[in-house]
Amino acid sequence: MVKVEINGQVVEAREGDMLIDVADSASISIPRFCYHKKLSIAANCRMCLVDVEGAWKAVPACATPVTDGMKVNTRSPKAIAAQKAVMEFLLINHPLDCPICDQGGECELQDVAMDYGDDVSQYSEAKRIVGDRNVGSLIQTDMTRCIHCTRCVRFGQEIAGLKELGATGRSEWMEIGTYIEKSIDSELSGNMIDLCPVGALTNKPFRYKARSWELKAHPTVAPHDSIGSNIFVHTRNGEVMRVVPRENEAINETWIADRDRFSCEALHSADRLTQPKVKAEGHWSSMDWSLALQVTVEKLKPYLANPEQIAILLSPNSTLEEVYLVKKLANALGINNIEHRLRQQDFSADQYGINQTLAMRLADVEALDSVLVIGGHLRKDLPLLNNRLRKAQLNGCEVNVVNPSGLDYNLGIEHQVDTLSLVSELASILKAANELVDQDNQVELAAVTFNATHTAIANSLIKGKKSALMLGLIAQADVHYSKILQLASQLAQTTGSSFSDLPAFSNTVGANLILASNSADLTNWLANGKKVFINVGIEPEFDCLLADQALRAMQQAELVINLTAFDSVSQQNYADIMLPIAIFAENAGTLVNIQQDWQSFKLFASAKGEAKPAWKVLRVLGNMFDLEGFDYTNTAEVLAEIKALNLSIKQPDYQCNLDLSVITPTPSSLVPCYSVDGMVRRSPALQATPDAQLTNPLN
Amino acid sequence: MIGFIKHQVKTFGLIELFKGLAVTGKYFFKKKITVRYPEEKTPLSPRFRGHHALRRYANGEERCIACKLCEAVCPANAITIEAEEREDGSRRTTRYDIDMFKCIYCGFCEEACPVDAVVETRVFEYEFHQRGENIMTKDKLLAFGDKHEAQIAADRAADAKYR
Amino acid sequence: MVELNLCCYRNNHLDKSWDIDTYISQGGYQVWKQVLSGELTPQEIIDEVKVSNLRGRGGAGFPTGLKWSFMNRHSPGQKYIVCNSDESEPGTCKDRDIMRYNPHQLIEGMAIAGYVIGASVGYNYIRGEFWEPYDRFTRAIMQAREAGMLGNNILGSGWDFDLNTHQGAGAYICGEETALLESIEGKKGQPRFKPPFPASYGLYGKPTTINNTETLASIPMILAKGGDWFAKLGVPGAGGTKLFSMSGHLEKPANYEIPMGTPFKDLLSLAGGVWKGRELKAVIPGGSSTAVLPADKALAMNMDYDSIAKAGSFLGAGSVIVMDDQTDMVKSLERLTWFYYDESCGQCTPCREGTGWMYRVVKRIRQGKGRPEDIETLKDVSGKITGRVICGLGDAAAIPVASFLQHFEHEFRHYIDHGCSIFDRA
Repeated sequence: MVKVEINGQVVEAREGDMLIDVADSASISIPRFCYHKKLSIAANCRMCLVDVEGAWKAVPACATPVTDGMKVNTRSPKAIAAQKAVMEFLLINHPLDCPICDQGGECELQDVAMDYGDDVSQYSEAKRIVGDRNVGSLIQTDMTRCIHCTRCVRFGQEIAGLKELGATGRSEWMEIGTYIEKSIDSELSGNMIDLCPVGALTNKPFRYKARSWELKAHPTVAPHDSIGSNIFVHTRNGEVMRVVPRENEAINETWIADRDRFSCEALHSADRLTQPKVKAEGHWSSMDWSLALQVTVEKLKPYLANPEQIAILLSPNSTLEEVYLVKKLANALGINNIEHRLRQQDFSADQYGINQTLAMRLADVEALDSVLVIGGHLRKDLPLLNNRLRKAQLNGCEVNVVNPSGLDYNLGIEHQVDTLSLVSELASILKAANELVDQDNQVELAAVTFNATHTAIANSLIKGKKSALMLGLIAQADVHYSKILQLASQLAQTTGSSFSDLPAFSNTVGANLILASNSADLTNWLANGKKVFINVGIEPEFDCLLADQALRAMQQAELVINLTAFDSVSQQNYADIMLPIAIFAENAGTLVNIQQDWQSFKLFASAKGEAKPAWKVLRVLGNMFDLEGFDYTNTAEVLAEIKALNLSIKQPDYQCNLDLSVITPTPSSLVPCYSVDGMVRRSPALQATPDAQLTNPLN
Repeated sequence: MIGFIKHQVKTFGLIELFKGLAVTGKYFFKKKITVRYPEEKTPLSPRFRGHHALRRYANGEERCIACKLCEAVCPANAITIEAEEREDGSRRTTRYDIDMFKCIYCGFCEEACPVDAVVETRVFEYEFHQRGENIMTKDKLLAFGDKHEAQIAADRAADAKYR
Repeated sequence: MVELNLCCYRNNHLDKSWDIDTYISQGGYQVWKQVLSGELTPQEIIDEVKVSNLRGRGGAGFPTGLKWSFMNRHSPGQKYIVCNSDESEPGTCKDRDIMRYNPHQLIEGMAIAGYVIGASVGYNYIRGEFWEPYDRFTRAIMQAREAGMLGNNILGSGWDFDLNTHQGAGAYICGEETALLESIEGKKGQPRFKPPFPASYGLYGKPTTINNTETLASIPMILAKGGDWFAKLGVPGAGGTKLFSMSGHLEKPANYEIPMGTPFKDLLSLAGGVWKGRELKAVIPGGSSTAVLPADKALAMNMDYDSIAKAGSFLGAGSVIVMDDQTDMVKSLERLTWFYYDESCGQCTPCREGTGWMYRVVKRIRQGKGRPEDIETLKDVSGKITGRVICGLGDAAAIPVASFLQHFEHEFRHYIDHGCSIFDRA
């Protein structure tokens, strides 16, 4: 530790820390543009020049390491003169278009100019004008406003792992752009909007919609993947306008995925179901809630005599409270068929327990030194987990993958096995690992062969001090998921690695907690049909892995009740009752993320039309069936009840059938990352990206 | 003693009475300033803050760029604006309402406007007969501006050097 | 009379001086052989270079022996020696002639320097516009390889050294050492923030020493004839000879190698004096990035670091630009500000924005549209750039503006007041 004196205030710091960090920790403000704590140091904006005793010129605080006894003055005439000079230079070519700039009101240049700018410019020459680039549907560029801080460029290189933006040209004519005319396609690209200190990169769907001072920020949790990214939802008059990240070092750091940022457009989609609707003799009629719920109860009652013929399909993005109430209501009515793992088809490992979590904290992923990803396109499915993994890889972690071919990685892959049969490759790696540690192979592995790559992967896992196996969405969708689980958990044991069967959706972990004891066989229900389907927050024809079967099952069912936020032609075709539910910021509840953080959030946007949060609908249904214990007044009461159950996840001891003789390569299913749920499917901006254009590149 | 004498002279000499009558007499013969409104009108300053208007540029393009500064500065929350991107990519309002009942005619909106779009005119004689007429919509404000543009422009020009 | 061409240009008069045979016939590669045989240890070489008082010839004048001593020869890992032959400073062309006429001396110098700092790989970064020198130097490397002076296990010594050339693409900024490294790495030529200095984090992140062509080409002669010999050629504090590129309004503009400390008057007469019998008006003594000096100051100075500094400028790279009494200083400055405006890399704010501002104001003055406050603005802007930038380019752009205004403000005033130059009788 060293002692530094900043403006006469003695501050303790670690030697080698940059002056700007030390000043920040002591709440001494130093203006800056190019510096960002998550990015490398560029020291090119020169705004943070400060006066260090002994240096003849002002030095940039962002690139000056502190030394013991250093005396710094951020407000001396020398420092102020330097900062004002830089401010003047920055402003001479910056357009005075703040009134039409979306960054106006939340612009770092505006703020700093208030402190360091002069009221009248001595610059009277022509200003620079730079042509805009169309970089896709998410980011709007106004490059004339660019102040060349290169945060976006460094973000692309260092965080997103794609050199999509760069500086071309020299001098005043240096331009930030995409080298060639192309769009910015990173799944984290939206973060450039936050990074840009001026209005050069702004949120395209949000363009001109509202000013920052009209918006209220509400803390909440992103509803699409199991990271549970912390976000702020910005509302104006109770209407959701946009989403920005909320810093949480333990979860999403300062980033969020594009999916979490841009999906809020779907709240205002024309597809929103705004009134309860009931189909009678082929005709849909809107009615009020009390009537619609009465109809629901009446239609459902005849089937309750034989509840086996009823199945409930539940969105894995439903809140914990909703899942619990579904289960409570269903069980009270005698229904046991509840499922949320819609993108899975092999459920035979359920009997040994379910544990779909990350076996470590997200931050610990950065410290891994060997990883094997099996059947998972983490970059698109869990972008921020992939981001952590990328950091680990840059620190020397060996990342190995066993995946279908054609996936696009943004990190260095050590060993890659491209396959359509995850099971056989996994068996080969396991056998290689067994040989390496001189462990006997089971009978089932007798016929398995392996090659140098398999040995290399096994070796990487064995020699890694902190090694991990991760199973992704592609593995979970595999016909032989149980065999994969069995092999992978054995491989983890053999190689001394941790084993994580990664949950994909925002409440997969929570739903597993509550529904673990329910017997379920979705594949069977869809194949053989049920008389009644109750769908909560999903569109079976899009959200189920076996989409065609699901659609057929719905069409053949006698009664389909959809609790849904969105109306659609196909639902109108097979459903009998549609009840509009509130989603995202219109709802309150709790989500359990990949590292088992229970994150509750409140409601702060008014729901569209007459839509109601699903937990309220379920609660009233409970009342209407005259069931005990459905008199909740808020989600906190439901949550308290859940907490009292002391639910916990037990590590399963897999004893799955390992017969490898029947394995045939099967086409893998990859869910395009902008098709995972109803919200992202209805975000026009996301749907216009290249990622959404992918149907399934693997088939 | 001297003070007593002065007081007596003032009291019995009716000096204050004549002073008062002198004022009366002065104004009795002066030019009359009573204005018989509405037949006659008082002169107005170019800075007079009356009915609002939205202005256009000479080529017919509306000035307002939906920056919402007037909405933000309005102390009475009388202005409501909604904006979006027009087809040509420019930033424009889709709604610009001034609630004339809420407005306190402070002129801040005019001062905040970076493009001289919203102005307060000399017009102060207007009335509402129906509920809802007090909401001046964008169309009404633009039409009002078009009607009075000559006067508005002359007023801005007269006041230009003080702004 | 001044003795010419004692060191770097010593072979230039010979026929086919660029050929390895010519070089060897003049005693070339003897020092390299000595070094390889172990007769000269790295420490002895550094000491000898220190004795010679050799200061970096690229412009900054940093003592070469001291620079080399920053490198730990025995630290593990790759190290690099890089030769900066980018010479893009307006007025400079001295290194060009080393590569054209005496490339082997440079190769020998680089090999020795590489040996001293423990670098087995060297790069010569050659200015993009230099086709012939690039060609000559590349051929020279091939010849040296064939002769066994470069390569693996050179002359059985167990020491490996190989040289690569890298041709720039015509950016002035790539003459800045860290921008040069970026350029070799294949990136956009932009200076890096220092620290870390190249001695600890250089080319490809490895310890690197970067020297000017003339510096490296002087090494073989220093070691052959002794540091004392070299030091005595010059003046205290700056040893040896120096190449001066004499350009501008001269009868015989050329490169001249003269001992340090030679009076400017002598150098001027070597170059045949001011052309057309005109009077001297001003001299830029060290390349466009150094301050301009009026005739009286220039004529009184000697060509060494201290004397020029005393006159108010800098020796720089030794590129003397001479201007006669018919020179329009406003036009001259306009051209110079254009150069810096065009060549600023655009990375850091004051230089990116300030160079363009200064150019536009000077241009406006030259067009006769100047305003009285423009001179203050120029002084203000140049002052605001100085010391607030990552590399030297911003400072270099400010120096001409400040010095032209310091010595020739009346010409600018004339333009502003009358809309034309002092030579136009409007």
